[in-house]
Parts: sequence; C-alpha cells; structure tokens
Amino acid sequence: MPGTPYPKRPMYRIAYTRLTGEQIAARLEPVSARGPASASAPEADLVGKSLRIITDDGPTLSYGFASPTRLSIAEERGTLAHAGYGSLRMGHISLFSHMIPGTQRGYTVVWDRNSSLASVIELWFSGYEDNRELQRQIYYGYVDGDGEAPRERHAPTDRLEGRGYFWRQDNGVETLEYYPSAGYSHFVELSRTGGELGYCAPSDYVRLDDGHFLYTRTECEFSGTFTAYVIDMNRTQQIGVRLGFDEADHLQYYLFRGQGDIVGQIARFEKFGDYSGDPIPAPKGADGKAIKGARRVYRPLRTMDKLTREQVARIAQEHSTAFAARAATGGAAGMAGNALPASAALAGKSFILRYDNGPAMAYRFDDAGQLSWRRDDEGDWTRARYQAFEVAPGLFLLGHLLQGAPNHDGHIIAVDFQQGLVTCYNGFLNTPYFANEAGARTLFGVVEMEGLQPPLYRRHARTTEMLGRCITYSYAPGLTSMHLYSTPHTVSWIIFTPDGHGGMEWSGPGDFVKIRDGVYFMYWLEEACNGTLGTVLLNLNIMHDAGIGYFCGSRGLNMSQIGAIVRHAGKFDVERYFQIRT
Amino acid sequence: MSRNCSPTRREFLARGAFLALPAGATLIPAVALADDALHARVKRLEDEAAIRDLHQSWLRQVHRAGGDARLEPSLRGVLPDQAGAPDTVEFSADGASAIGSYDCLVETETSLWPDCTLAQMAHVQGHGATRSTERRRLRLDYIKSAGSWKIARVTAQPL
Repeated sequence: MPGTPYPKRPMYRIAYTRLTGEQIAARLEPVSARGPASASAPEADLVGKSLRIITDDGPTLSYGFASPTRLSIAEERGTLAHAGYGSLRMGHISLFSHMIPGTQRGYTVVWDRNSSLASVIELWFSGYEDNRELQRQIYYGYVDGDGEAPRERHAPTDRLEGRGYFWRQDNGVETLEYYPSAGYSHFVELSRTGGELGYCAPSDYVRLDDGHFLYTRTECEFSGTFTAYVIDMNRTQQIGVRLGFDEADHLQYYLFRGQGDIVGQIARFEKFGDYSGDPIPAPKGADGKAIKGARRVYRPLRTMDKLTREQVARIAQEHSTAFAARAATGGAAGMAGNALPASAALAGKSFILRYDNGPAMAYRFDDAGQLSWRRDDEGDWTRARYQAFEVAPGLFLLGHLLQGAPNHDGHIIAVDFQQGLVTCYNGFLNTPYFANEAGARTLFGVVEMEGLQPPLYRRHARTTEMLGRCITYSYAPGLTSMHLYSTPHTVSWIIFTPDGHGGMEWSGPGDFVKIRDGVYFMYWLEEACNGTLGTVLLNLNIMHDAGIGYFCGSRGLNMSQIGAIVRHAGKFDVERYFQIRT
Repeated sequence: MSRNCSPTRREFLARGAFLALPAGATLIPAVALADDALHARVKRLEDEAAIRDLHQSWLRQVHRAGGDARLEPSLRGVLPDQAGAPDTVEFSADGASAIGSYDCLVETETSLWPDCTLAQMAHVQGHGATRSTERRRLRLDYIKSAGSWKIARVTAQPL
C-alpha cells in the first residue's frame, strides 16, 4: 500500500550535489536535442511559422518551427541553431521552451497572439556559485509583424499579490501555491512530498493582460529548479515549464498544463493605485548598470552562526541573558517596540505547572522579574530571570531559561489561570544539524495552585483554526512582517518594503495551539535560518500579541521579548487539502 | 493726452520724508536723510534676499546629500512646516550676522538593528532603515563675510 511520500528531510536540509558545469552540460545535451517532455500533447500550430521577436534591452530572436518538436533559432544575427522544443497554447497565449544545444542556456517564450507582445525568459545554468541554480532574465518585447510595432509591453506587477491557488498538473503533480509577496512566493508540494511543510522562492509576477499573468519561481537554496507558468485568471488554468535537477540529480525539463482552484485572496498593503511589481531592487554592477539575471535572494544558511555543542555549552555558561533591557524605540527596539508591558501580577505567587508526559515545574515568584523553579520536586530551587505578559485577563505568557539543563532549555509558557491549563513550548539546543539551532517540544498540562482546581481531562489543544490565515505583525516602526500559516505545520514570514509591497519571504516549521476563543499560542523554528525559536501568544480579540524569542548565537544564549500590533490580512481556504482538522 | 500714473516708490518715499520734516528744516538735508533710509532699507532687502537664496540653496543641498554634517546623522530631509510659525530672520545691529528661525518638518532615517531575522531580511532586500517625520524649529546662524552670507551654525530643536 503506497504511503504518503513524506521526504526524509526538509528541503533546507538536503545536501544537493554541487554539480560541475561539465556534469550539467552532459545531462543537458540529449534534453536540448529533444526538447522538454510533456504529459499533454504538444501543440503543432507553430509548425511552419517563422517568428522574429524583438525585445527591449535584450536579444532579437529569429525562430523557424520545422515540426512540433524541432525549431531553429538565431540570436541577433548569429549562427542558426537547431533544437528540440515544446509548445503549449492556452487561448491566445502560446508558450514554447527550448535549450540551445552545446550551451547551458535556453529560452522560454510567452507570446500573446492578440497583442503580439512577448515575454522572453532566458534561462541558464552555471551562473551562480552553485551551478545547478537556474538563473533567469526576463526580456519584454513583441513579435515583429506587418504593422507598426506595439508600444505596450508586458510588465512586472503586484496584481497577483495576495492570491493563492491549488494546482493539479497534467502529470499528476499537485501543489498549493501562495503569492503573499510581489517578489517571492510560497509553495507546498502536496503530491511530491506530502504537503507537510511549505517553502519560499524568489519569484517574478508579470502582467500579460488583465486575464493572464506570468509567474516564475526559482528554488534558490534548495534544488535550484525553475518553474514558470501563465495563469488564465478566469478559467483558473495554467500552462508552464519546469527545468532543473531534482534531489537525485535527475534533470527535469517538461511542459505542463494545470487546472486550479482559487483558495483565497488576502489583502494587499500598497497604496491604492500602486500596481508596480518587482519590489526588491536588484543589485547593480560597479558601474551602476543592471546585471543580467541579478536579483536579491535570501540565503540565510550562509550567514547564520553555526556552533558546536562545546561552543554552545561555553556560550550558554558565560553569556546567557533573559529579557535584557533594550532601547525603547526606534531601530534598536527590534521586535519589542510594540510589546505589551511586562506584568508584575505573578509576584509573590507560587504554583506547579504539571505537564502530561513532561516534568512538573514548581515555581515561586519572588518579584516582577525573578522566580525560582524546581523540577519534579528534586534538587535545589534555581533562580531565574523571567518576564510575564498578561495577554488576556488571567492569561499570561511567561518565559525563563533553565540554567544547568544539559540542552540549555528555555520554557515559554501560556498559563491560563481561568481554565487552570498550561501549554509550554520547551525550547532546547544541541539539535542534530547545528548545536545552536533551537528545537521545540510542545507540552500540555495543568496549573496546580492553592484555590484553583484544574480540569482532569481537558487540555489546550492543537488547532488548524489558524491554517491559511495571514496576520501582519508590526513590531516597531519600519519592522512589520506578515505570517502566513500555509500548512498545519508551517509558519512563513513576509517582509514588507517601505511602500507596502510584500518582499522577501522565508518559512520554517511551526505549531499552533488554541488557548481560548480568539487566542492562539504559536511557534516557528528558524531552521537553517538563524536557529531562533519564536513564539507568540496571539489575542485576536485585542489584535495584539505577546511573544518570546529563544536564540543562541556566537554572542550568547538569550531569551527576549517580542510583541506586535496585528492586522488580519485574510485567510486562504486550504483546510480541505489537509486530512486532520482540529 | 492725459498723464495718469502712480508715483514711483522713490517719489513716494521722498514725499513721505518731506512731510515728516520738522517745520523750518531745509529741503536738501531732508532728501539726504531719505536717501540714507532708503539705502539702508534696500541693503536690508538685499540681505534678506541673499539669506533667502542661501536658505533655499541649503535645503536643496540637504536633500541632495541626504543630510548635513552639522545636524544629526539620521537627518535626511527638511521640508517647510506650513502649519508652523512664520519664518523669521533677525539681523544684528551691525548687519554682519543674522539668525534665521524656520519651523520645518524633518525627515529622519533610523537603521533597523540587525538583531533579528526580520531586520536582517529587510537589510538584505535593501530596506534596512525606517523613516519618520517630526516637527522641528531650525535655527541657522548666518555671518556676512567678504560681502556674502554664509551659514555658520545649524541646530534643530524639537517643537
């Protein structure tokens, strides 16, 4: 019985082979000769045609189509090359794709037969330090004809921003694809990897006409695979191309058709009238000119601290801080600029947080910032600095480090004195990939306290109520992000540009617990990306959260306050794509 | 043909000076006094115009350079505050210096502290700073040197 094809590891853990240029060239050779595969029958309506495509600031391409699978191409007035190709048509939009034999380059052309406008995507391997990562440059132009050259052009846009689709391709591939940014996108591989986690990729969004848009993504930091497709917005159909090397280094080059479902449209935050695209300015050369294919890509693994267990042990011993004072405002306030005030309500209290299948943590709160804890009634009491935030009446977010714990644990706890319930995100270090990368386990339990009778069976519970939601978090002036809860186990975050475009995006695994109606306790792990455990206790009744971050880097192990004023940007209706709903 | 025109400014000032003369005073000293007052006023107007030009030039320079080394490093731009007090320029008694006071809107830029993933991502995408605008009163100290006005000092006080 075939099971769900869960991957052995997330994409950001896969050690993709550093293919050499020669290896890539060798694998491209037969594919360039025969063209892309396609589950759907290739279109033959280009056969016998000649097209001359003139682009702005790009090449002029002359094509001749000898058969449904063979074409000739001349770049500028260069040598004529013969290549395999594939073509698909969707209404008045044609898409054809080919490589150029003997090179690691190729073109995918989108041609609007009504307007004669064309978008030409040049693709090439071996253009980045990791050869397998496809590079792309989009040129805008037109197919030369008898009449006057059109003045209009296809153009980058933000008009797809906020849309989400379920796509089912003709080859059986099913994905959820979210466009919460105008420069990045988020994709969930439902059929290929079981849809447990979603991932992010730099993307292009191009308006062809009001009913058709071109989308691309390059799976940078992962396999480097490139995908592009045209969306018929009215019929919710797509035609596209995928090119790249998969995890097993097999070259994939195929065209596809797809049928989709719109899963939602969330809010956009640009000013009305701003439909501009390409919001992340590409780096320029030393001469100030544009560099072919240049784009800004978030590559967090390159910059994160990567520490050994020994380094982590030394740092945790020498440089552990909890809730250090920060600048109150401005750029140094970080994610605490809009934080809720710390509460002194626990001072003088004592109680036990008894976790199912976990420890019983006894607490004595000396004052508003110091507590003493003891685990399972064993050993001495340990003093620790803490902070607590009353997120809703009788509901506190509480955090402290567990000095002396072998994995340098931190407890971040939602304590509900009204229900007598507690949920703890137990952060820990010494995880398998990098010792300073946080892991987390979720503990459910009860509060034992004089005068409080906790429930016997009821607990806080994991929930899918946040699935598909998008919440903006304004932490401080200039520091607003948006969370997209794309799967029951994924938190993605999008950074805005100053003019309100969605910009860079990344994601990690997360957990979601319902505390009360409208109150959710969530975490995300920045795996292969700084290693932070971020938590928020989100109160949608007041549209504010309180949060605590747990992070170990070369400068120390610390626990710190975060907090934001939030907006609800909308919700994608994706529950039906995940079997377990709570 | 009739001659129907307004008296010139010079004629008006001279006539006014004449009317203000005490009885018995002769005409020639009166005209001389009027010329002196006129000269002083013209000089004052020329100085005011020169400082106005200097101020506009300084504003353009601030915008071009994204700041002024004499002001806080985070300052990026200065705009007139149309809701503020009128601009004033007060000259010293000897006319060799002046102080300008301008209510304005100051745009400041604060770099996001890259201590969290979000701020780091903002920097990577080229937007690692936040801008804000606040009301300030600019004081510019001017001195006249070799016949031309220069800015000696700039300060900006919060309003």
